[in-house]
Parts: sequence; C-alpha cells; structure tokens
Amino acid sequence: MTTSGQADDPDDPDDPDAIQEVAGTVVPRIRGRLRTRLPGKVRTARGQLLVLTVYLLLTPIFLGFQAVTGGLAKMNLPTTDLLAATVGNVVLAAACYTASRLILARSRTGYILALAAAGLIAIASIYALTEVVTGTAGLTGNTAFFFTVYQGVYLMFAVAVLVNLLREVTWSRTLVREARKSTGEGLGVPLRDIRIHPGAARTEVAAPGSAEEAAAQAKRRHQEPLLAVRGLKKHFPIHGGLLRRQIGTVYAVDGVDFDVYPGEIFSLVGESGCGKTTLGRTVLQLTPPTAGKVVFDGFELADVDPDDMRPLRRRMQIIFQDPFGSLNPRMPVSDIIGEGLLAQGVTDRKTRDKRVEDSLEIVGLRRDYTRRYPHEFSGGQRQRIGIARALALGPDLVVCDEPVSALDVSIQSQVLNLLLDLRRDFNLTYLFISHNLSVVQYFSDRVGVMYLGKLVEEGAVEQLYRDPRHPYTVALLSAIPDPDPRRRKKRLVLKGDVPSPAAPPSGCRFHTRCWLYEKLGNPERCATEEPELRPLETGHRTACHFAEEVSDKAVSQVVATQSVLDTAVADPV
Amino acid sequence: MTETVNVPAPLGAPPVGDALLDVRNLKTHFHVLDGIVPAVDGVSFSLGAGQTLGIVGESGSGKSVTALTIMRLLDIPPAEIVEGEVWFDGREILSMPIDKMRRIRGNDIAMIFQEPLTSLNPVFTIGDQIAEQVELHKKVKRREAWDRAIESLRLVGIPLPERRVKQYPHEMSGGMRQRVMIAMALSCEPKLLIADEPTTALDVTIQAQILELLKTIQDRTDSALLLITHDLGVVAEMVDNVIVMYAGQIVEQGTANEVLLNPKAPYTMGLLESIPTVEKRGGRLSVITGTVPNPFNLPPACRFEPRCPYAWDLCRQVAPELAPVRGSDQLARCHLHTPAGDSRLPAALERHTSAMRLGQGHSDQ
Repeated sequence: MTTSGQADDPDDPDDPDAIQEVAGTVVPRIRGRLRTRLPGKVRTARGQLLVLTVYLLLTPIFLGFQAVTGGLAKMNLPTTDLLAATVGNVVLAAACYTASRLILARSRTGYILALAAAGLIAIASIYALTEVVTGTAGLTGNTAFFFTVYQGVYLMFAVAVLVNLLREVTWSRTLVREARKSTGEGLGVPLRDIRIHPGAARTEVAAPGSAEEAAAQAKRRHQEPLLAVRGLKKHFPIHGGLLRRQIGTVYAVDGVDFDVYPGEIFSLVGESGCGKTTLGRTVLQLTPPTAGKVVFDGFELADVDPDDMRPLRRRMQIIFQDPFGSLNPRMPVSDIIGEGLLAQGVTDRKTRDKRVEDSLEIVGLRRDYTRRYPHEFSGGQRQRIGIARALALGPDLVVCDEPVSALDVSIQSQVLNLLLDLRRDFNLTYLFISHNLSVVQYFSDRVGVMYLGKLVEEGAVEQLYRDPRHPYTVALLSAIPDPDPRRRKKRLVLKGDVPSPAAPPSGCRFHTRCWLYEKLGNPERCATEEPELRPLETGHRTACHFAEEVSDKAVSQVVATQSVLDTAVADPV
Repeated sequence: MTETVNVPAPLGAPPVGDALLDVRNLKTHFHVLDGIVPAVDGVSFSLGAGQTLGIVGESGSGKSVTALTIMRLLDIPPAEIVEGEVWFDGREILSMPIDKMRRIRGNDIAMIFQEPLTSLNPVFTIGDQIAEQVELHKKVKRREAWDRAIESLRLVGIPLPERRVKQYPHEMSGGMRQRVMIAMALSCEPKLLIADEPTTALDVTIQAQILELLKTIQDRTDSALLLITHDLGVVAEMVDNVIVMYAGQIVEQGTANEVLLNPKAPYTMGLLESIPTVEKRGGRLSVITGTVPNPFNLPPACRFEPRCPYAWDLCRQVAPELAPVRGSDQLARCHLHTPAGDSRLPAALERHTSAMRLGQGHSDQ
C-alpha cells in the first residue's frame, strides 16, 4: 500500500506552530452558551399555566358582559365576591401568564411565581368547593353542580401545575446559572449573499490535493475547528416482546471524536451499517445524541432549546443521498427550496423567490425552473436541487450524505465539481459521508474510517491512503476495484460480514474479521481491551493495538495464503 | 410472464467456430404510452466457451435489456424483439418454442440478478429453491436434488451448507444471499452465466468476496461469463473482453486492457476521465456534459454527438458505424477513427491523455 516518494505533508514541518495537538484530544473552546431544552414536565406545566390564564379570564369576561347588558344587577352578588371574581382573577391570570413567559426565559422567579399562583388558585378553589359542599354558599341544584365543576377545573389544573413543577425541583436550582448564559451572541447571523458575481476571480483548480489547496489546508489547521465532536454516542433502543419493552440496544454511533476545520472537506467512510449516516444526522441534532458533545463554531449543541437551535440550523445544512426520495413530489421547486427560508423567517414571498432563483443559478440550473415539480428533472438535476436547497440558507457547514452514490458516473463527476466550486465560492465546509473510497480519495482533505460505530482511523488523505495502519483500512483500500488494469492486484479479502451493531464484539470490534489478529496468532489483548484512537508517528490516528505491525510485507503474506472459499463465516445458525 | 411468440427474422446460418453465444444485430424495443423506446438497437457480439465478456454502460444504456432478451425474460408486449438472432450452443434461441427454451434457461444459461433479496422467494427455504430447478432440469429425485443444492452451497463457500439449505432468505446477510444466488445459478452447471450487476447492492468488502468467488468458480467450472456492470473497476478485474454501450448501441468493443487503457470512442474516454482515481487528485475532474438523450428524441446521427467534445458537422449528418480501429483490435463507433477524422484524432487523444492525469505534479506521487 505504501507508495514511495516524498511526503507532501500539509503541515509545514519548519513552522513551529504547525505541531498541532492531535485532533480529538483537545477540549474545544466554547464561545457562547445556548439555552438548554426545558424538561418535559416543565413544558407541560407551561401549557397548563396558559390554559389556567384563559380559564381565569372567562369569569371577568362573563361578568363584564352581564354588566353591560344589565344582567349583573339581577344576579344580586355581594361586592366582595364580585371583586374577587374580577380583580382577583385578572391578577392571577396575569401572574400565570407572566410565570409561563419567565420560565421560558429561564428565570427562577418565574418558577416561584408559577408555584405561588398555582398554589393560590388551588387553595381558593378548595375553599370555594368546601363552601358549596357544606352549604355555606347557599347554592342548590344545577347551580351547585355547575359551580362545583367550574371550581374543580381550577383545582385540577392548579394541582397539575404544582405536581409537574415540583417534580423538577432539581432543574429549578440550575436556573440561576442558566439565566446568566448569554443566549443571543453570534446567533443572529444574517442570510449570506449567495449571488454569483460575474467579476469574481476564480482560480482554475479547487480540488483537494492541488498545490493551492494543500497550502490552504495547512492554514486551516491553525484555526479553531468549525465542528468538534467529542465522545459522541447515539444508541437506539430495540423494543420487543408483548409489552414492547426494551430488549436491546443498537450501538449505531459509539464514542466518536473528530474535528472539522473551517473550509476543509472531512470525509467519513465505511460500509453500510457502520453508523456514518447516523453520525451525520446526530452532528446536526436531527436526532438527539445519547451522549457526547458536538461543538459547532463554539456553541455546544447537545440538548439545546429549539428556539436557540433554529438560527444555528441555518448555518448547518444537509444534502441527502437519494435525489428521488428527498424531494417532495407534490411541491414545486420554489417551495422545496423556499421552505427552509420560510422557517428561517423570510416571510416576504418576493424576497424568497428571488433567493430561490439565486440558489438555482449557483447550482447550474435555470432561474425559471421554480414552478416545476421534481419528476420533471433527471437524477443529476434533482441532486442539484437538493444542493440548492441546502445553499439557499447560506450555510457554513454542509453535511453531504452520500450525495453522488445514486448517480451515474458521468453525472457524479459533474456534481463533485459543483461541490468543489461551491466550497471555493462560499467558503463552505463539508462533512462528506460516503462508502466510495475512490470518490473520498479524490474529494477530501481529511478522512475518518468508521467501523461499527467507531472511528478506526483518521488522518490526512495523502497519509491515510499511502500508509494505512488499521487492518480494516488496509482491507477496505484493497477491495476497491481499480479501473486501471495495470494496477490489477491480488485482493486482501475480509472474512464474513459486519457484525450486528446491536451486539458488537468485545475488545476491538474488528477482531472477529481481522487478518492481522489471525496472523499474530490471536492475541488476547484484541479480544479483551478496546483500542484507543491513538496518534502515530505518521501524523494520523488509528485505533489498533498492533498498528506498527501493519506493513506491505505483512499484507502480501496474508494475501498469498488466503482462500476465497473461506471468506464466508458461519454466524450462529 | 408473457413469452416471445413471434419469430422475428429469417434465420441465418449457425455460427462457425467455437462461439458459445452469438448475438446478431439484436433490436429490442419497448412500446410505451409516449412512443417506442429502442432500448437495444442493433447489438452484435459473440462469446466463446469459458470466456468472459463485460457489458458496461450507464443506467438506461440497454445492457440489462440485452441480457433479459437473451434469457427471453422480457414481457412481450410492451417489449418487442424487432430484429436479430441469438445463437446459443448451435441453436437459435429467440425463435425456439418456449418449452424448449425453458429447458435451456436455468440449465444451460443461468442468471445472477442484482438484488439478491428480491430475486429469492421469501416463503421457500434456500434448499427448496435450488433443488426445484435441479429436479426439473436434471430429472433427478428430490433427495438427490437436495444433495446437489448442498454441494453447490459448499462450492460458493457457505459454511455448514447442510444447515443453511433449511434456512429462509431473510435469515441471511446480503453477501450470503448473493452467494446463494450464485449457488443456484451454478447448481445445474450452466455453460453460460449471466451476472447482471452482481455486486452493486453490496458493500466494498463483500463485493471483493463475491468477485473473487465468481473468478474462482468461473476458472473451476469453465463456464462462460457475461458480466453486466456500470463499474469500470469491476470490468478491469473480472473480464477479458468488454463492450461499452450507450443509448442502446455498442460504442466500443475490445479487450478489457485495450479499452480501459486506450479507449477509442469518445464516450469511453469521457467515462474514464470522469472517474475519480489517484492520478486525478488535485485536479478538476473532466465531465461528460449534459445527460443521456431522451429515448423518444434521439440525436439524428451519432447518439453521443450532443455530449461529445470532439463532434463536428459530419457527426450530425452521418451515423457512425461500429468499425475496426486501425492499428488495434478494438471496434469503435466514431468518425474520429475513419479517414474523415484523421485530422482531428491526434488532438482528441492528446486531450484524453491530459485529462487522465490531472493531478500529476501537484499530488504526492
């Protein structure tokens, strides 16, 4: 696998600052704080407070109506009751509403106010109910019944609010700290200009690995990472049995660390089921992570309040794999692309349409395609619409989830070139997810290889493809069919299939299929101890206890002795 | 499934020499609501016993329809075999009565499909499905057929075949199912194996397993292999000869080494240029502009002309023929290789060479 020749290291060795700490080991700097999501119980309590607010206002409105029509005099109510029913109710309604707003603003006063208001309503309604029951109120028949129901609703809601809030006492203690978190800083980024300026200077090449790009890449690594992922986990429960109880867990993503620097293309490769797509979606918080941190531009994303997440979503977009499934067939292009803009508050139809046309233009489609429907386009054009949809919002980070896998070869290169042009023109950063190692080699600056929910190797493309040190990477690279017959070689064929992510093997997850494990005589360490992603002297990171044993010689020895008929492995029958 | 009823053309003479499969001027058209789609439009090739032939092309180029026509698995209508002959083992099979064809299909010609999950019957065990056709074709008892099913599973490297035969398709992984498909195809020891995108639905490491397996088995059983794929890498590793199809026609034909290293047709050149490889890192991929032409509105002369970077007036007026290229054994459908294109050929080849090694000079090589 090693090709001779000079290492064109993107990090200039003469530059003392170039010795960077290895990605994934540094704690990312937090620039601003975002509000965390309200606990479920508190959200319910907020809703109940709003119901109480409306309910409390019903009586004053009714009495006011009676006063106007002259019915109030006939009712012959005592002044104290009237005052309590109007002024008291209005004051309590105001208190309930204020409390719900204050809770949203993460104020502890709001929490206390809500408890006080709900408590007061509960006591008042209990008092009123006892009066009815004991007959002190002097109500009989239907009137008594309706009054009981009326007061009962008060009591029910007030008690519900009290119970819900009191169950989150621990949360309320964090409120003082939370309230101090700055919430707005850096979030209100205006929509970026995405028009094509005819005069703008364009360099010829923008592909990773070219001289200009290599220099740019070296600079990038001195910046703060745009995206830092630390110990990210996403587990899905498996429900089964009569009661749909949880009977297992799919460890889709199980502890992943990596950094993506502004302007670079970081690729994730791996076979289906290795968790690369889940990782992409979890990074964007499209599915909430089970554990771990995602820091985007200095904001920690895990468990962020939806109100704070939305402005960040504008800056993090996704392009989906399937150009047929990811566009709604009932929507015209203007709505498909404009929907995101609408959600981001671009309510003016004209402005939105203008921007939709701009984004169609930058992906190489005609401006007047806006009224067409997805079925009128070919696969390549649809994928361009998907790209236009992501770009309409002027994002910084674009997660490309297998954007060219469903396309024919000749269309694939058109889309890859387009993505490179867009990166150059709008300084985009790509998290590129693919199973195609040739595309990744051409298209990325750095690459992370995933196996069963974990990164097994990560590094600059030049290093990783020239000198892979994880046995899985070696096998993966060996498996690519090469269209150049001069490079025809004997393959290193892995045994068996990828194990189920619901029951990953102990120790190193790859040891069940590892050729090196066999060659070294099945060392116990591989089956018992989980390897860490550790930096190697080559500058990239790998998660193998015996990475130093991986060499061309070892590989050719294994290749010489393997038999293709042994490659199907018996799993439990 | 409806079968071919009409005999399309007067029969020619059987092929001379050792050609196992001889396809002559095959034309399969589809009658659809909007008109006629010429999916396969004049395809001829031959394949000797024990040889390997690859058909490459993008989706819609007619490569799968060619295979289905040979197998006579197309619904007629909407399909219609307009013209052409397919000679297999000395017999013309398109005009053959259907019951005779059934004796050949699965027995002498076997096919491996792209989607192992959809091509296996989910309600029968693996063994039932393999044994059924062995029983039918080889006229053996059920017992013996099952033994043969076990044997063929062992041949494709499936461990514990005695237990596997009793399993259902859903109990196996994608790679295992594809192995079962291969085992099924091999169970009657066919003379010709047609593999239609056998690894497209599989992961890279499993694809490697299946390709190596196909190679080993093809060597061992000495059956001919017709491999249909869109992946030029698979072609490079698997076959001796290759046919490149575009819009229902063959645009280039030759040995895999020649076609992949010295492509003659502009479409093949463009295809090879647009694939990302090591050499191209750091450079801008050259692309084939535009899209595959609409089958109802094909260009009047050369079908690749609207997308071809080398096209000139002649290409819009006269349709090129598939003709031998001077100085090589390849066939190409392009005016560049006729005397009319002599003046333009060197520039075209130059352009192709530079597009193939874009990144050189920048990259780490």
